[in-house]
Amino acid sequence: MTSGAYTQLLDLACGVLLLCAVVVLWQRELAVLVRVLAVQGAALAAIAAVLGVHERRWGLLVVAAGVGVLRAGVLPYLLRRALGARTGGAADPPPPAAYRSPYREDVSEARETRPVVNVAASLVTAALLTLLAYAAARPLVALHPTPATRALPVGLAVVLVGFFVLVARRRAIAQVVGFLTLDNGITATAFLAASGVPPIVELGVSFDVLLAVLVLHVLTTRMRAAFGGTDLDDLRELSDR
Amino acid sequence: MNAIGPALAVAAGLGGAGSLAGALAPARVRPLAAGVCTAGLGAAGVVAGAAALGGSRYGVWLPGLLPLAGVRLAVDALSGLFLAVAGAVTVAAAVYGIGYASPGGTHDQPPPGAGPDGASPGGHDMAAASPSGGGHDDGVGGSFGVGHASPGGGGRGDAVGGSFRGHPSRGGGGRRDAGAGSFGVGDASPGGGRGDGAGGSFGGHPSPGGGGHDDGAGGSFGVRDASPGGGGRRDGAGGTYGTAYPGGRPAQGIRSRGAQAVLPLFALALLLVPAAASVSTFLLLWELMALTSLLLVLAEHRERPSVGQAGLWYAVMTQLGFVLLLAGLGLFAARAGGESFADLRAGAAGMSPAVRGTVFVATAAAFTSKAGLAPLHAWLPRAHPEAPSHVSALMSAAMVNLGVYGVLRVGFDLLGGGPAWWWLLLTAAGGLSAVYGILQAAMASDLKRLLAYSTSENMGLVVVGAGAAGLFRAAGDEPLAALALAAALLHVVNHSAFKALLFCAAGSVLRATGLRDLDRLGGLRARMPATAGLFAVGALGAVALPPGNGFVSEWLLLQALVHGFAVPGAATAVVLPLAVAVIALSAGLAAAVFVKALGVGFFARPRSEPAARAAESPPAMLAGMGLLAAGCAVLALAPGLLGGPLARAAAAAGPAGGTSLAGAGLSVRLHHTSASLYPLWVALALVAGVAAAAGLARLPARRGRRRDARLWDCGGGAPTPRMAYTATSFAEPLQRVFDDVLAPEQDVHVTPVRESAYLVRRVRFQRLVPDRIEHRLYLPVLTALSRTAARARHLATGSVHLYLAYGLFGLVTVLAVLVVGW
Amino acid sequence: MSGVGYVAVGAQVVVVVGGAPVLGGWMRQVRARLEGRAGAGVGQPWRDVRKLLRKEAVTPVGTGPAFRLAPLLLVATTAVVAALMPLASTRTPVSGSADLILVVALLALGTVALALAGLDTGTAFGGMGASREMTIAALVEPTILLAVFAVSIPVGSTNLAAIIAGTIHHPARPASPAGLLAVAALAVAVLAEAGRIPVDNPATHLELTMVHEAMVLEYAGPDLALVELGSQMRLAVLLGLLGSLAAPWGTATGGSLPLLGLALVLLVVKTALLGTLLAAAEVFWAKVRLFKVPELLAGSFLLALLAVVASYFLTGEAVR
Repeated sequence: MTSGAYTQLLDLACGVLLLCAVVVLWQRELAVLVRVLAVQGAALAAIAAVLGVHERRWGLLVVAAGVGVLRAGVLPYLLRRALGARTGGAADPPPPAAYRSPYREDVSEARETRPVVNVAASLVTAALLTLLAYAAARPLVALHPTPATRALPVGLAVVLVGFFVLVARRRAIAQVVGFLTLDNGITATAFLAASGVPPIVELGVSFDVLLAVLVLHVLTTRMRAAFGGTDLDDLRELSDR
Repeated sequence: MNAIGPALAVAAGLGGAGSLAGALAPARVRPLAAGVCTAGLGAAGVVAGAAALGGSRYGVWLPGLLPLAGVRLAVDALSGLFLAVAGAVTVAAAVYGIGYASPGGTHDQPPPGAGPDGASPGGHDMAAASPSGGGHDDGVGGSFGVGHASPGGGGRGDAVGGSFRGHPSRGGGGRRDAGAGSFGVGDASPGGGRGDGAGGSFGGHPSPGGGGHDDGAGGSFGVRDASPGGGGRRDGAGGTYGTAYPGGRPAQGIRSRGAQAVLPLFALALLLVPAAASVSTFLLLWELMALTSLLLVLAEHRERPSVGQAGLWYAVMTQLGFVLLLAGLGLFAARAGGESFADLRAGAAGMSPAVRGTVFVATAAAFTSKAGLAPLHAWLPRAHPEAPSHVSALMSAAMVNLGVYGVLRVGFDLLGGGPAWWWLLLTAAGGLSAVYGILQAAMASDLKRLLAYSTSENMGLVVVGAGAAGLFRAAGDEPLAALALAAALLHVVNHSAFKALLFCAAGSVLRATGLRDLDRLGGLRARMPATAGLFAVGALGAVALPPGNGFVSEWLLLQALVHGFAVPGAATAVVLPLAVAVIALSAGLAAAVFVKALGVGFFARPRSEPAARAAESPPAMLAGMGLLAAGCAVLALAPGLLGGPLARAAAAAGPAGGTSLAGAGLSVRLHHTSASLYPLWVALALVAGVAAAAGLARLPARRGRRRDARLWDCGGGAPTPRMAYTATSFAEPLQRVFDDVLAPEQDVHVTPVRESAYLVRRVRFQRLVPDRIEHRLYLPVLTALSRTAARARHLATGSVHLYLAYGLFGLVTVLAVLVVGW
Repeated sequence: MSGVGYVAVGAQVVVVVGGAPVLGGWMRQVRARLEGRAGAGVGQPWRDVRKLLRKEAVTPVGTGPAFRLAPLLLVATTAVVAALMPLASTRTPVSGSADLILVVALLALGTVALALAGLDTGTAFGGMGASREMTIAALVEPTILLAVFAVSIPVGSTNLAAIIAGTIHHPARPASPAGLLAVAALAVAVLAEAGRIPVDNPATHLELTMVHEAMVLEYAGPDLALVELGSQMRLAVLLGLLGSLAAPWGTATGGSLPLLGLALVLLVVKTALLGTLLAAAEVFWAKVRLFKVPELLAGSFLLALLAVVASYFLTGEAVR
């Protein structure tokens, strides 16, 4: 692979990674979020693969394949299943409060109807976060400027945006997507900064993530059983006052 | 010997003579005498400034004039620029002022009666108008009693709807939602509410019956935004904004002996502040400027109580700024070991970074407050609207500039530049006030208040340029710093030209109608064509679009920022895109603001009686405005003329390498890049395009003459003026978009009839867009102060012995501290 | 060279003025076919303009000079932009002042003129349209200028001719993340500026949802013809701009007539392609609510900002 093509491909993959994080903030439709997450996972795998081919480290290709399968395949599949169960509607228990019509329930479950921070403001915040990531990562880039490290701010920006999604969104699925975005950002940073962590660590982390998603899956199911919805604000009712 | 010294001497002499003439001349010739002297003073200032910009320098020390330090004056290119601008604005404002203070205006009009084409005083209109008057009396400044309810449903409601050009269906929305079908909520606000209904304001309409409104079918409430009225109400001043002048004698105060005597002194102070060359001289002149402008702001205090409030705010803030300035410059002089500017310059290098930083922050806070930058802007939107209009022009076009001058003089010249954080702070303040100022201007429906907030915005842009220049300089890129500084200075010049023109035109409107409230103006282009045309010239400059002069400087500013990406450093990398975005957003909003001011204030048809009876201003006023308009045109078409002088002024401030900007007469070209702009050619091309398009349209037409026809209005035909969009309704979408930033407050009061809670007698809707920075920042301080003051009252029991004991105690404490601590 | 340069400028103006209604007709035809209708034919907008031009000029009572001047100014600004932009050739006598900021500002001037005309009528719908149009215009401005900033970084100039010539010499540039993001941001801004479907529906007949159309409701006869022509020219110019920034290949950089001819043909093809794409997309999109437009524009703003940031930190292309 020539160095020009390598740089171009790496940049494109990083661009897609960041763009997906942005789209997560932009879109309200939960199904779209899951699809975007799959694309992001693929971009992450592509970063690893490009790095592996360029540096001729074939172990990295295996990691890339693993990351691809997990992040672009398994996790989105699990999320889609959770989403499908929720919006299928047929098995829904009747809403506990009488004033909640089933129609409204369906709509609010499929979409992020009223995020904590509205969409336009979230997008502007994401812009500021990206600038911050860029400014913060500059000293790191200056240490050893290669195409890979120069893309380091992208990883950091994805971490920040993912964190912000966690803050700004209500639905449990959106939260999971935010969490996974954050994790994608961390992984991307690791790849870009150090050409990846040892495969065993990466696999361990991925396993952790899988576990986290499963736990959240269980949690959302429980929440839905208890509250009839997955609005995290409902959890406040569990506190003793 | 160059021309600067004699010109300044002539200016001082004319200032004295004008002041004497204003104080002593008989009332009939007083404005003329004082005005001529002031105009001459301004002309002398222009001569001095032009000479300084041409490259000559001047310095003088008059030791006998002031005890201890004497008066020290020095003029270089930077001072010369501000001198020339202040002088030019003074000339125009003085000529305008002669006309403004001459007899005429609203008080010479016949008493309000049936105007020729005013709003027809039909029954419905009267019914709608009376509660509106009530709102004003409450001092809410534009709260409307809205709603006509009657048991029996459709009949009355439809009648009300019918009187507003037949939109019964929208009124019907309210009726249906109320569920009972027993009352109709018609809309009675002139323009605001109906416009809103048509404007498809979706959702969120509070409905009196508690039923959920159908989206888009609502619009049954008069939505009116008494934007800054909150301040008025809180201060208890009542209906300050957008109220008509009771008695309609706007020119009375300015004709008085005191005002006429102070005006030349104010103008003189404006000229001399940039020429000051020592701390004591500078502070003295600064205070003279503050005091004279305060007296002029108060000129019309007999006519409106709000003037007193504005004066109080202005006095307190300007004096606090003075204290800060005194502290900062005092510290500077003490550490530098001398108080002349030359000593300061020499001593600045040896000072510790902490002291330099303290001096910069203290003086920059004082200067940016004078320049009207958020968050220290609170005085500006109060004082500028309440001052007589040519004084507003002088304040907005010459006085606020001196705040920028101070920042440049101290930050760049005397301190010799500084670390990046100074400039980041400055840029942040500039960006904040650019966006905040223009947003508030977009919400304002008081014409002069709108212009005042726009001043805050433009000064913000200037300071963004200055901050960027500082950043570039801190990063070591002197040519780019010079370019950014030149852009900022050019914007100062352009802003002075168009803002003075706009304030003067607003003053003409005020004089002719007694109104500042855009909601009640309209249709002036038919009655005051010259004023409307001049206002349009000014507005074109203010919107920063091509044939206007504001475009040239904003273009230059953007070029400086766009080329700044080559400057290394994370700070510039983060700041520059944001600065570009801020400038672009403020430019876009400025377009909306001035479309509103021009389109709502001057176009369409009159929405009130005084607006319908307006008459064109006297020739002196038009001449003053004409001078300013000519200045705008020259600046717009041949900005290249200023290339050399701007480079010299920027070089005088510090950044070397000022050759990056070349003006070849008609064009602006940047040397080290390929950017160039030919405003004259663009204007000519536009004219040619318009002519060609007119020819194209005329060519196949069968008949040459245009035929008049009734307005179609989608079949409604010939709408009444009350159906037109008002300033408030025009700004409503923007207000919604920036809801989170502006945090408007709204209130709905439903008054049921006595017999039944279901029948509504009256619905009152009011919306205020308060100045949020003021609410968050100033109100707590003021509350705390008054609470402290109330507590301190316990100390004052009325016993003289106690008071004397306080004095003794204080003296003893001081002595004890001295004994122990020294 | 100079002679060819003048020919190029003239040809650009002629192509834009003559081709804009055809482009409009083409897009309507594409939409009609995709929706299963026969369509009125590509030449229909021209026939409309011709018909309107022959009608008698009408001045609604109560309107002033602003109302009469606005259509002329709309056409004039767009024509000046068409002459300035290096659509067909980057070496024209005016390419030195083909500044992107100037182009954006000139287009905004046309918008402002129409908004003032809408207010000048004194009707509720005119004011409503003006208010909405200015709201959108104010929000588009940051996006579009930031996108300008992003595309100007690689060449260090906002001069369009320089940008396009630079892209022709570095063909990989538009495919870099910065280039893609900038073009995407610009595309959203173009939709908003031209008043196309997610922002405004040019084919609507419902006054309450109108933006652009509401401002021009009072125009009739030749004035209306100019307004229609002006807005079609605007769309053509904006699509041409987008086309030459995204895929500038074919734009003549030299001074020979055959190359110029080829460039003009390619320009027409590119613009028609973009128009087809837009028309096809409009079949599937819905117009968003007015108060959702800020979300769209905030997204586009973010894309533009990412483009700027990406050109800082990726590839080091900014270092030149």
